[in-house]
Amino acid sequence: MQKPRVAFFDFAGCEGDQLQVANLEEDILALLGQVDIVTFREVMKEHSDQYDIAFVEGSCTRLLDEDRLKQIRKNAKVVVALGSCAAIGGINCIRNYKDLEEVRRTVYGDQAKLFDTYAARPIDAVVKVDAYVYGCPINKEEFLQVVKSLLLGKKPDIPTYPVCVECKKNENVCAFERGQFCVGPVTRAGCDSCCVNEGTICWGCRGLVDNPNENSHKEVLIKYGLTVDDAIGKFKLYFGWQEAKR
Amino acid sequence: MNLISKDDFNDFVNALIKDESWNVIGVKAKGSKFAFGPLESASELRLDYDVTLLPPKKYFFPQRETLFTYNLAGGFSAKNPAETKPAVIIGVHPYDIVALFHMDEIFRETKSDPYYFKKRESSIIIGVNIQKMSKWNFSTYMGAATVDYGYDLMLTDLGNRYAISVGSKKGGDLLAKYAKNVSGAFARDIQLVGQKKREIFNMAQQKLDFPPELIPEMLKKTYEESGFWEEHSEKCLACGSCVLVCPTCYCFDVKEEMDLSLEQGERIRTWDGCLLEDFAKVASGENFRATRPTRYRHRYFKKGKYLFDKFGFISCVGCGRCSSNCLPDIANPVKLLNDMYRETSVTGAQMAATTPEVNIQTEGNIDYVPKLATIIKKVPMTANETLFELKLDDSTELGHKPGQFVEVSVFGIGEAPISLSSSPTKKESFEICVRKLGNVTTKLHMLQVGDKVGIRGPFGNGFDVNFLKGKNLLFVAGGLGIAPLRSLFNYVLDNRKHFGHVSLLYGCKEPRELLYKEEMMALKHRPDVEYRAAVNWCPDGEAWTGGIGVITTLIPQVSFDPQDVYAVICGPPVMYKYVIGDLKARNVPDDHIIVSLERRMKCGVGKCGHCQINEIYVCKDGPVFNYSKIKGIPEAL
Amino acid sequence: MNDMNIEIHHVTRVEGHGNIYVNVKKGVVEKCEWQVPEAPRFFEAMVLGRQWNELHHVTSRICGICSIGHTLASLKATEAAMGITISDQDLKLRKLALHAENMQSHILHLGFLVLPDLLGAGSVIPLASSNPQEVKTVLRLHRLANEMSNLLCGRTTHPQRLIPGGFSKIPSIKELVALKKKMQAAIPDLQAVAKLIKSAAGKLPNFVRETEFIALSSPDEYALYDGQIASTDTGKAPVNEYLTFTNEYIVPRSTAKWTKHNRDSYMVGALARFNLNYDKFSPWTKQVADMFGLKPTCYNPFMNSIAQLVETVHSVEDSIRLINELENAGLKPQPDYFKPEIKVKAGRGVGAVEVPRGILFHDYTYNAKGVCTKANCVIPTNQNHANIDLDMKALVPTLLDKSQKEIELACEMLVRAYDPCISCSTHYTTVHFV
Repeated sequence: MQKPRVAFFDFAGCEGDQLQVANLEEDILALLGQVDIVTFREVMKEHSDQYDIAFVEGSCTRLLDEDRLKQIRKNAKVVVALGSCAAIGGINCIRNYKDLEEVRRTVYGDQAKLFDTYAARPIDAVVKVDAYVYGCPINKEEFLQVVKSLLLGKKPDIPTYPVCVECKKNENVCAFERGQFCVGPVTRAGCDSCCVNEGTICWGCRGLVDNPNENSHKEVLIKYGLTVDDAIGKFKLYFGWQEAKR
Repeated sequence: MNLISKDDFNDFVNALIKDESWNVIGVKAKGSKFAFGPLESASELRLDYDVTLLPPKKYFFPQRETLFTYNLAGGFSAKNPAETKPAVIIGVHPYDIVALFHMDEIFRETKSDPYYFKKRESSIIIGVNIQKMSKWNFSTYMGAATVDYGYDLMLTDLGNRYAISVGSKKGGDLLAKYAKNVSGAFARDIQLVGQKKREIFNMAQQKLDFPPELIPEMLKKTYEESGFWEEHSEKCLACGSCVLVCPTCYCFDVKEEMDLSLEQGERIRTWDGCLLEDFAKVASGENFRATRPTRYRHRYFKKGKYLFDKFGFISCVGCGRCSSNCLPDIANPVKLLNDMYRETSVTGAQMAATTPEVNIQTEGNIDYVPKLATIIKKVPMTANETLFELKLDDSTELGHKPGQFVEVSVFGIGEAPISLSSSPTKKESFEICVRKLGNVTTKLHMLQVGDKVGIRGPFGNGFDVNFLKGKNLLFVAGGLGIAPLRSLFNYVLDNRKHFGHVSLLYGCKEPRELLYKEEMMALKHRPDVEYRAAVNWCPDGEAWTGGIGVITTLIPQVSFDPQDVYAVICGPPVMYKYVIGDLKARNVPDDHIIVSLERRMKCGVGKCGHCQINEIYVCKDGPVFNYSKIKGIPEAL
Repeated sequence: MNDMNIEIHHVTRVEGHGNIYVNVKKGVVEKCEWQVPEAPRFFEAMVLGRQWNELHHVTSRICGICSIGHTLASLKATEAAMGITISDQDLKLRKLALHAENMQSHILHLGFLVLPDLLGAGSVIPLASSNPQEVKTVLRLHRLANEMSNLLCGRTTHPQRLIPGGFSKIPSIKELVALKKKMQAAIPDLQAVAKLIKSAAGKLPNFVRETEFIALSSPDEYALYDGQIASTDTGKAPVNEYLTFTNEYIVPRSTAKWTKHNRDSYMVGALARFNLNYDKFSPWTKQVADMFGLKPTCYNPFMNSIAQLVETVHSVEDSIRLINELENAGLKPQPDYFKPEIKVKAGRGVGAVEVPRGILFHDYTYNAKGVCTKANCVIPTNQNHANIDLDMKALVPTLLDKSQKEIELACEMLVRAYDPCISCSTHYTTVHFV
């Protein structure tokens, strides 16, 4: 039986998620035992428009990106949003709060289209997405779990609970007890609280859980000493698109 | 009682570490807090700590545990995880020791968990009396601030020396082998230990305003006070912190992971928490505890009422970890219970402390490893439901009772609970009717005759066929509910002369969703069975000679003496209250109504917590219930 | 000679999106252009209004491959603005982090992006079947570099441990010594890779065009973390004067800015560093350069890849030296979840660091509350775009007797030799057109 054909695409992002795929090291060989990679511009010269699973990294930030995205959706049976920029809009959404005209300043002539930009958005704002690999960057293990789930024909097991669950299991000292301010309680788990494990805080890169108690968390941030503006600012780092939608 | 100088105690610990046949674990500093961790030297020990981030239960019931690994190449073979070195855990506070006792009873009840007990039995607990108490701790109220049992050795800090109380032969032997200069205690030391233990009671900063024995009754009276629960849970982040750090919590989830070969994998269990949003959600998307107030309330009831009713203890040792880890500050049991006490005393409710009858049995170990079974027949019955006939590879009979269920494994995907649809009178094989809904059932539908699955069970209580013998039976089946009822129904038909009048009412949305069509058609021609069917609607062009309407429209068509009939009901959750309502309107007594319920089930043996409806476990106390027993249970119907 | 029209959209095996246009009519090159259509990222706008302790987290996201470099440049700028110094131990650990990044990036570039061209394959994937031992060697080295980043920074991409004033967590000396042993054991693998590249190095075109080279330079060591700006044309200058070097300007049909200094273009990257700091290499490292006849000042951009190989060898050697120093001095432990005390004040600071692709500048201005009011980042690849364009304009006329396919391959190999990081280079905020 033919192995499923896999393709990688990138939009506005840092390509860190595709680097995580390259960072699979020897597991890449095991992965190639299960799939054929037919398009991976960063790593391969060959490319094909015949593919089954498309991994898309990066946000959609221009009108002209939408056409390319729609074509990918047409070619693929399964579209996977790879990384937070593609899945939730990622850090690109910080600028959605700013005046885009001010950001574009003087643009005119037939060159305007190249400098066209609009509010950065996740790819599911443009096309239907079948699976998500959250994280900035993605977690290699979770990426493999999603790939294996697609190969086995089951829905990937992505947590709907917050990072606190993993942080507690990892026996971390809570950021708030250390005088720092964390958005773990409203952020989707699945990263194994890796940032807190490294001694810092959760910045929210995997996006909000499905039903966050945002008011309660903002109250917690303020109770522990953050100003109202800074508390709101924390939510603007990665949650820009999700908050705007709510 | 013995004495050892602190220097000699450090040497004792270092000797244990050097020996390498032990996993030596002790309380160490972590940031500004404390945690149990592996010791490289006795100098790392911080026996003056107040509380650890996680309780020592993580050594007996780890955050993530492999139940078994398997290899699908050439069939199926399973391997149990390798044994770990026995652990010596140094510095356990009395409340954590008491908590381990709670866990012991829970993991032993009905069926024993071998993974937990292997570790429990091989490990050594060296306790230490509390020197500093966290401000959230209220163990003095829960009888857990000091303890006279449950340890192998217990230390009390007397300044330049420890008093050691030997609690077991294991503890005494360990001391004899690795410690030097252990002497007997003097009278003054014994008196000093007594003084230290008394001082602990002055350390408590939390104050419970009433005796804790009143907690179960108080909770019972507050169940319906939705305003109270909404107010207290409004800020809940559903982060699970309170239950994950709790020394008496034991809910877990079971998952499967495969490696990239897609041939080797493992089944694991991980800590889960009833406060998390999807804890009680099933594959159809229905969430049996969807709101924060209901989940928040459930934690208090489980610890303060349900476990008390079953085991006779309030399952909280007052360690205060939940309170200290709750960011919006709503998890402190002392605050909530004091509020509750004020409210219930204000209403003047009479409360009496009662101790329940406790009868805990253990019959063998839980088996987490499935047996192999082969699909010998596959019959698609509708667009979404397929009948599978299975035979155990070891050629044994499943030996189930009607109404029981099995956990079906599709390796690589997971396990799902599915009711048995055939009667045990059919011996060499058994049948299940599978609706395609989630990961496991969807994959199951893609398997073919000759493919293999895993089977665990049978689980559940099943129908009490002896009780039903000689009675008139009224079966009411809605939709997929016909599948489990069929196991009893066919049993009855196979033993027809042992039962009275038998009626079967079967309702579906439309004709093409009818299951077991041919069997149902055959029933129409049997003189010894009254069969009636109805569909909600019949699309144009489809042949249908039965009734049109919801299933309750069939009930008036059946004549019965309410005192003499027993109703057996199974269907979608929404159906029960209407059917039961109509039966009650015809004076059928409560204890003549028998229902079979579904919930999210993982372990099948009443341990992982997912299927709990208030105090009952659907997988163990059910899925079959007599209505008189559950009509007072709010989460049941 | 045929007319030919070459349009390569989104060059493969480079990071980011770049296009090559070549048009030849009647033997005359009418058009030869390097264009950057990458989507602008607007990072300099995103950091405005954010706190001093957040900037490094945001700017790390400029690049997934040079995250460590961006984070360090960002931290240096913030630390310079607020007068924060780091300990000697942290300095060594940061240098190790930069070595890890250099190794990871260079091995990825050489093994995954350049080697296929030298061995005549479309990508590393068929090489996994035809040259399995060599591919496994590359993967082993790549994995070791990543293990090193993980140990020092938490992870390679968006490293968590790098914070203003130091590290949130440091490795134990036991872990560093174990890493050192692994690096020593990896030397045979490095030698194998060097031999493999040598055997195929004949495929690298012998193309020379004089240009200016700019990199950090230091009297103490081969400069990666600290130094002054150095130019092969004009000599040294303090990092604060970087704007007089970079002179960014807009180019039509490119969303990335270009730069120029003494000439119409200049080159940054491994070859620039090699040319400016060759004397800081150990004799052992110089031997590897000798294998390829690589000596300063080399004006062949295709040799940038060889310079990367030499740098990888140096990074391994220097890392072992740094770990020995830490071992001898004894590693001072720090508490779990460490957060240095920082006194926030207004100021402006510039941080410059050499990342795999060249010299990187971050320039921040903070107000008294520690909020960023102005930011400027000049990315190595921005600084290379003009050089790529001029190199291509000089290269193509020399290849007019070759087939279209050969010219295409040569142009692509030229771009790949620079190891461009195009999405980083399109990070800016305002665009002015004239």
